Formats: sequence, structure tokens, C-alpha cells
Amino acid sequence: MRVYVNDQAVELFPGMQVKHAVMRAGKMAKIAGGLKAFDAWGHELGLDGALVEGMKIYLRHDSKGIQ
Amino acid sequence: MRKTWVIILGILLLASLASWAEAAPVNLRILYVNDFHGFAGPIKQIGGQAPVGGVAYLAGAVDRARQQQPSVLLAAGDMIQGNAWANLFKGQSVIDVMNAMKFDAMVVGNHEFNFGPKVLQARIAQADFPILGANVEGLPAIKPYIVKTLNTIKIGIIGVITQDYVKTIPENAAGLKFTTPESALLKYLPELRRQADIIVVLSHCGYPVDRQLAEKVPGIDVIVGGHTHTKILHPEKVGHTIIVQAWEHAKALGILDLEVEGGKIVKFHGVLEQISPATALYNTQVQEILARYEGLADPPLRQAIGETRVDLDATRVRIAETNLGNFIADVMRRTAKADAAIINGGSIKGSIAKGQIEMQDVYTALPYDIYLIALKLTGAQLQEALEHGVSRLGKPSHRFPQVAGLTFTYKPAAPVGSRVQDVTVGGRPLDLRKVYVVATIDYLAAGDDGYTVFADTLKEASLLQNPLVYNDSGTWLRDRVIAAIKAQRVLDVKVDGRIKVVD
Repeated sequence: MRVYVNDQAVELFPGMQVKHAVMRAGKMAKIAGGLKAFDAWGHELGLDGALVEGMKIYLRHDSKGIQ
Repeated sequence: MRKTWVIILGILLLASLASWAEAAPVNLRILYVNDFHGFAGPIKQIGGQAPVGGVAYLAGAVDRARQQQPSVLLAAGDMIQGNAWANLFKGQSVIDVMNAMKFDAMVVGNHEFNFGPKVLQARIAQADFPILGANVEGLPAIKPYIVKTLNTIKIGIIGVITQDYVKTIPENAAGLKFTTPESALLKYLPELRRQADIIVVLSHCGYPVDRQLAEKVPGIDVIVGGHTHTKILHPEKVGHTIIVQAWEHAKALGILDLEVEGGKIVKFHGVLEQISPATALYNTQVQEILARYEGLADPPLRQAIGETRVDLDATRVRIAETNLGNFIADVMRRTAKADAAIINGGSIKGSIAKGQIEMQDVYTALPYDIYLIALKLTGAQLQEALEHGVSRLGKPSHRFPQVAGLTFTYKPAAPVGSRVQDVTVGGRPLDLRKVYVVATIDYLAAGDDGYTVFADTLKEASLLQNPLVYNDSGTWLRDRVIAAIKAQRVLDVKVDGRIKVVD
């Protein structure tokens, strides 16, 4: 399965999740530093969230709270 | 004659009132959650923010939302497996809570299959609400759809699940067939539309797929989604379809208010309400169920599952071979039927003292929710993985390997990348060109701790042709280790010279 983290393509095994994509991109330290994962439409993703082929993930600070 | 006219006028008046009532807007509320994964208690967030979630607080929020407006409560899958609170009871605890919360329907998620088909059937029988899956064939207890009436409006609720993940553990879905979500919707929607005023698709396919379904399948009014753990703060609209999803782990309750007029949604408004002990009141009945299961969880965690004649050492797993590292790596190799196994010392956190072993000792030793993967590696790649494992010496290092099925020596004084020598696999010298099956954990297979060699096999799929041999994302490694201790009963594990330092 191929997904993209900050536009960097990463190959992953089936069943892997958002956290695995971030690990594969070598960016887990950014999560520990407070960045969050968002999809191509700007929605935050849980790190245990499933991946979909071709999915785009972006790491950035959360500018919006809930509600 | 005059009397007849009065009767006729009366009938006309009643008919016009009835048609006015039919055309008058009706308000509906859909409450929804997804990907609960058994996270019963509040959760600390990365970054040190205040805890969020807690299913008793979620239930309290549902109670308040229902008081404001009659509602249907839906779950978009992956409810019964994940956290220990769910896993220890194979999801029974979760269904008890969902029954107490009076869920109206749930779609089966891929992780609902993790405990195998018999357990899934038991959970379906336990549930007071229907469990849906229009694209699942072979399990009659899973219904394609239901029709629910709320405020005179008939809501057709149909469930669909991703095909992808169930394929990774085929034995858990033996005898079942999964058609595409799109084909199942196209098959059932015409008959459902005849019975319902509005159509809600309960989808465990992931948000990007939900958008595609909204574009491709006509006649869907609302998609309540799950699988990707997407936090959709306000409903999205794709074509004529409203799409919502409520994050994960009971951290939010989705509230979607609809105004329906003449069988069409004319207005909608939705929010995610954050669930937090700081902001919500809890539901006492659900709190009692939590307490009951926590009480039940305690005895199994303290139950003796075996005995060890020696201390099982995790204090040195980041600098040297240890007997606990050996035991865990052996379990990995045997389970995956691999030639060799590698786990990083950083994944092993606690020693187990000589004497009785309790289940909670294994939870302490392996606190992370990590699972087993086995891959085909060439001998050269296996050597590269070992070189990486000993590339940071001189102080404890997460990447230091614990291994099974192989032995090697390393020379700390040698340059990084040429420290490993004399590797054997299965008692024979490593053949750099031969293909070996190597078990590891998902984190390393994704490149964590710098172990890029595992995921790099995907780039070289043409060389090795489908490098993946074993992949069970639904069973944590600690549960494999617990099962192995139970089977073996008495452990006498030694450091047997798998990893040696040479000058």
C-alpha cells in the first residue's frame, strides 16, 4: 500500500495505520513534539486510523479545536 | 343537501391538514460513534493535554442529546476489539455497554472479526441491536439493513465494510465472502428506498472511500463513517450526500440534526461534542458496568499463568542478549513459522521475577500494542538489520536486537555497518543470497528505530515477490507470549550465546 506523508510517498504492509505511515516517513518525533496528522481535506486523523490506498497525510499544528 | 356539503367540506379540510402534516418539516437527530476499540476509560493525549474520552461520559452525553431531541444512535464499526478492557472479555464488555446505551444499529468493522467467527456470532447474539453488513455474505446473523421510524420518518440504515483488512487474516473470516461496498449498495438501495424516507449508510470503509461512494452511488442521504478515525468537526457534503465521522476511542460524540420535508433533507447541522471527564456527567448504569468488568479483569490479570525458575531480565535488553528477549523472540519465530526473529530491546520494558508469572507481568514486560509480522529477507538484508541493531553502542539503545533462530557476533570497535560477523541461521552460516523468513513487529516493519530494511522489501517486491508471509494485526504480541507461557507452564530460559561480543 502506498500513502503519502507530507507529500513523501511511503510503502506499507496491509493493515498498517496512520502511525506506521508516520514512522515510515521518519516523522514520529514531530508527533511527540505536538504536531498532528490531518487528511487531504483538513480533518484530523487518529494515529490508529486505517489507511486507504493513495491517502495523503499532512503533519501540522492543530489550528482548530473540537466543535 | 346542506348536511352533505358540510361533510364533504370536512373531509377536504381533514385531507388538506393531513397533506400539510406530511409536508411539514420533521426534525431528526442522528448520534454516532466509531472505532471505539474498547477504550472504556478516559485517555491521556500525546502532548500532555487533559484526558479525553471515557465511555460512561460518552453515555452521559448521549442521554443529554436524546433529551433535547428524539434520536437514533449508531456505531460505525470497530467497537469490540483493541484495548485490554475489551480484549480480556473478547468484546463482551463492550456489547454490554452498548446494550445499556441502547444503540439502534452498528456496522461490523474489520476488527470485529479479530476474535474469530464463533466469538463474533456470540457478540451478535448478545447485542440487543442489529449488526449490519450488506456486503458480507455467509453469516446470516449480519443483516444488510434495517428500517427505523423516528418522528414519523422512516430511516433506512444499511451497513458496508471495507474488503481490504479482513483479507489479511483470512482464517478469521473463513466461509465469508465480502463483495464491494459499492455493489452491495447498488443491490440493496432500490428495495430499501421503497421502504424508507431517507437513506443512511453506516460505513466502515474509511473517509476517502465514503467520498467515492457518495459520488458513485445515487440516493444516499447520509454516510456515517468509520475506519480511518477521522475527526470531521462539521458534516461534509459530497454531491447530495452528507458525510460524518466521529474520530475514535469515545473521544467524541457525533450529533447530526436533520430537517426532513417531503422525504428530503432540507436542512442539516452537525457537530462533534468532545467527551471529557472535565466537561461531562457520566451515565451511572454504564459506570456500573465498567466497574463490574474492571472487577472481573483484575482476577485474570493477577492469575498465575505459569512459573519461571529464573529471573527474566529486561534490564539489559538494550545492551545485550537477555533470557527474556530470547523467550519473546522464540515465541515470535515459532508463531510465524519463521527462520529467524528480531525484536528491538526498546519494545521490552519490564523484567519478570523468578516464581509465579501473572498475566499482568507480561503486560508490564510488553506494554505496547504491537503485533507480529513476518517477511522474506535476503541474507544480505538480514545482515543489514543486525548491523543496524548494533550500530549505536556504548549506551542503552532501543534498537539493540533480541533474536531467535540465529546467532551472530559483533565487534564494537569496528565501524558502523561492518560490526556483525559469523551469522548463522538455523545452525548454518548465513547465505547472503538466500531468502529467509524473518519475524518482527509492526513498528520495526514500518521503519521505527531506524530499521528501514523491512519496509524496503516492498520496494524490491520484484526481487522477492510478495515479501509478506505473516501479518496478524488483530493479536497483540503480549497475547502470543501469554499463550506461550500458559502452554509451557514452567520456564527455564537462559542466555545461550545468540549474541556475542568479540574484540
